[in-house]
Amino acid sequence: MTQASRAERAPLPLRGLAILVAVVFATPVAYVLWRVITLDGDFGDVINESMGPLWRTTQLAVIVSIATGAVGTGLAWLLVRTDVPFARVLRLLAPLPLVFPSFVGAAAFIAGMGPDGAIRSVMSVVGYSVPTRFRGLGASCFVLTAFTYPYVYLPVAARLAGLPPSIEESARLLGDRPSRFFFRIVLPAIRSSVLGGMLIALLYSLSEFGAVQLLGFDTLTRVIYATRLLDRAQSFAAATLLLILAIIAVTIERRMRGSLRHSAPSSMRRNAPVTLGRWRIPALFAVVAVLMVSLVTPIASLGQWAWRGIGRSSSPASALGDQLSNLRGPLWSTTWLGVIAAVVAVLVVLPAALLAARFRSRLAPPVTSAIVGGFAVPGLVIALSLAFWALNVPYFDRFYQTTPLLIAAYVIHFGAQAMRSTEVAVATVPRHVRESARLLGASPARRARTVELPLMRPGLVAGGGLVLLSTIKELPATLLLAPIGLQTLTTRVWGAFEGGLLAEAGLASIVLVIASGTLTWLLVLRRADHLG
Amino acid sequence: MSTPVRYFALATLVITTALVGCGDDSDAGTGGGVVTIYSGRTQNLVEPILDRFAEETGISVEVRYGDSSDLALLIDEEGDRSPADVFLSQSPGSVGFLDQQGLLGTLPGDVLDLVAPGFHAADGGWVGFSGRKRVLAFNPEFTDESTLPSSVLDLVEPQWKGRIGVAPSNASFQDFVTAMRFKLGDDATRQWLQGIADNDAFTFANNAAVVAAIDRGEVELGLVNHYYVYQALAQDPDFAAINHDFAVDDIGSLVIVTGASILKSTDNNAEAVELIRFLLQNEAQRYFSDQTFEYPLAAGVEPAAILPEIELGGSADIELDQLGGDLQSTREMIRDAGLEG
Repeated sequence: MTQASRAERAPLPLRGLAILVAVVFATPVAYVLWRVITLDGDFGDVINESMGPLWRTTQLAVIVSIATGAVGTGLAWLLVRTDVPFARVLRLLAPLPLVFPSFVGAAAFIAGMGPDGAIRSVMSVVGYSVPTRFRGLGASCFVLTAFTYPYVYLPVAARLAGLPPSIEESARLLGDRPSRFFFRIVLPAIRSSVLGGMLIALLYSLSEFGAVQLLGFDTLTRVIYATRLLDRAQSFAAATLLLILAIIAVTIERRMRGSLRHSAPSSMRRNAPVTLGRWRIPALFAVVAVLMVSLVTPIASLGQWAWRGIGRSSSPASALGDQLSNLRGPLWSTTWLGVIAAVVAVLVVLPAALLAARFRSRLAPPVTSAIVGGFAVPGLVIALSLAFWALNVPYFDRFYQTTPLLIAAYVIHFGAQAMRSTEVAVATVPRHVRESARLLGASPARRARTVELPLMRPGLVAGGGLVLLSTIKELPATLLLAPIGLQTLTTRVWGAFEGGLLAEAGLASIVLVIASGTLTWLLVLRRADHLG
Repeated sequence: MSTPVRYFALATLVITTALVGCGDDSDAGTGGGVVTIYSGRTQNLVEPILDRFAEETGISVEVRYGDSSDLALLIDEEGDRSPADVFLSQSPGSVGFLDQQGLLGTLPGDVLDLVAPGFHAADGGWVGFSGRKRVLAFNPEFTDESTLPSSVLDLVEPQWKGRIGVAPSNASFQDFVTAMRFKLGDDATRQWLQGIADNDAFTFANNAAVVAAIDRGEVELGLVNHYYVYQALAQDPDFAAINHDFAVDDIGSLVIVTGASILKSTDNNAEAVELIRFLLQNEAQRYFSDQTFEYPLAAGVEPAAILPEIELGGSADIELDQLGGDLQSTREMIRDAGLEG
């Protein structure tokens, strides 16, 4: 059997499809390089000027990545594999912090630190005086970790949900304490999901702009933005530095995670949870503390903004009603854009995932790198590059500023988030299960429907879920590429925020969170068997 | 063919069909009374008056809202195929950029003549349609106004150490520094920036963040545009930050304009000109004054009563369209002084 699998080559159509996907995902990178060449930037100059931002960006990305790895994995294990109380509700809330657009999340945090802010009020009850100045590396790491740990949480929870209960049972029979068998047995089994999530969090930190700008932390994206009109050569050269960092990160991660082909297989059996015993309540506190910081705190600030504006108007009820009915259109477009982008993203990365996980193809590393690299390019650059390609490639100009192009932008930007979960999902369908189904004479379509898809579902759904939540909050590409007049909840939040209408920004953000929660529950958690 | 491959072939087919199906409703009206606007001014600030224009003229209006600089970059990518007819910018920088790239058409002389000569581009590429004045925001709870200086140049004095907030990456701050360079020269400007940096000025992402920090007492004083405190006050009656005005002829009282321009590539020039003329007529100018607390620029329209009087043209010895030109050196000066980041 092993011999046969070594010899197995990926079928030609699959390889062709994967190459096509890689080419599409590489278009923003090609655009950046094209601009660097045509604008004739001086790299020596840029590197000289960007040493500070480069170093700060690296620090930020590494710290956030490690912190999200710890928080996301810990949360996922507690909520999926143990008997921590209220796990069902907490599982619904845990992925949601991802949905705050970073500029709003950071602003809500900063406002919460102010004299009458929600964070300050709560902390003063327990006798702690919050520092007024919340800026710099520490603050940026804190905020980014709070909002991006779901990049680790969702795929790891999906992976844990698919692991057979036997691995913990046997450890328990041998008398290991929970903490010990977590590190000895569980962690090795989920390593590729954890590392994949950490990589996504790292790439997100590289290309993040809104939050670090508000928190006064000077990174490479600040250079890209500050020079984008005045010195475009430098702007694109800084974007190239970002891409180089991303390639280094992707390469390191690939080395660390080893081969996917030895992933422990998925099982369809429902797990007996690990009993925490006297650790049950402390574990609950830990989970709640994370959610307090990353979900409750920003919502409290946003609620305060909304209330200040609406509560003070002459008739709060009708003011609220007016505002909410204005949000109906954006709510609808946000929903369908997010769902379509998520489905398309999973479908598009599947060929690459099959290549990487099922065939020993030399194509797999470059193809997956192209897909993953798209996430390190700032959204503004993705938008400009798609405008460039759509207008300059014959025939494609008819798609300019239409929904399909916008969806393409989302998929290229966020496909990376579906990549690892999909790879893991494909890798964990046990080979013997596929073989037996074939020997029993099931047709390929029937095998896919009745055997492969059910086993892959938690992983596919988790990957799609990440893309969904990211699409919902996407801003720069939506502003530039959406059909004219189309508004999403995030563009509304941004418009209100920029225009100084904090009340409307607060209310629209809360609607955004509720909508994301509902969608996550309906489309992700309920469908990922053990996750909900 | 193995299963997944077949699955993919099917999915690709479906997606391609969907793409082709969706792609063909993209032809915008060709001259039939539509004007397409890329607006760097936010929706809440400009939509009501654009709706009034549509009502008044029967010309329908399509608007893409976004950040002024991002939209300018998009128009530059689009080149002569831009769907936009009109570009409304938050500051002279973005229209100045497009003017330099040769993407703007020339506005008719009678439209330019609606504002004072200092408030439109010399080459007729864009016209200012509302003005914002630079001020020093402060919180009277913590600072006595009588102690505040009458010139922005005095902020480098040692008594202001650790008390000033600025937004150095903000376009308005950069415009202000560029204006200072034209009026006082590069050396004096460099010295002033260095003085502000040596005074341990706090840096913020934007003007709104500066006034919010002043309201909270996080920082005492802030160099910002005048209307942020009015907007904040309109939503929150308890908002504590207010404006201190420098002397009328001080560079610290510079007026920065928002710019309206028509793209060279437009097919709807007549409608576009009509829109810009509308923005400079009494109703729209009153709207900007009374609703968004900006200074009207068209001759004969008085600013709202709550706004302190300014001498429009007090800073007219600075060519405002030069603000778009040499921003690069301005940015370098700001950075060299150590103010960014």
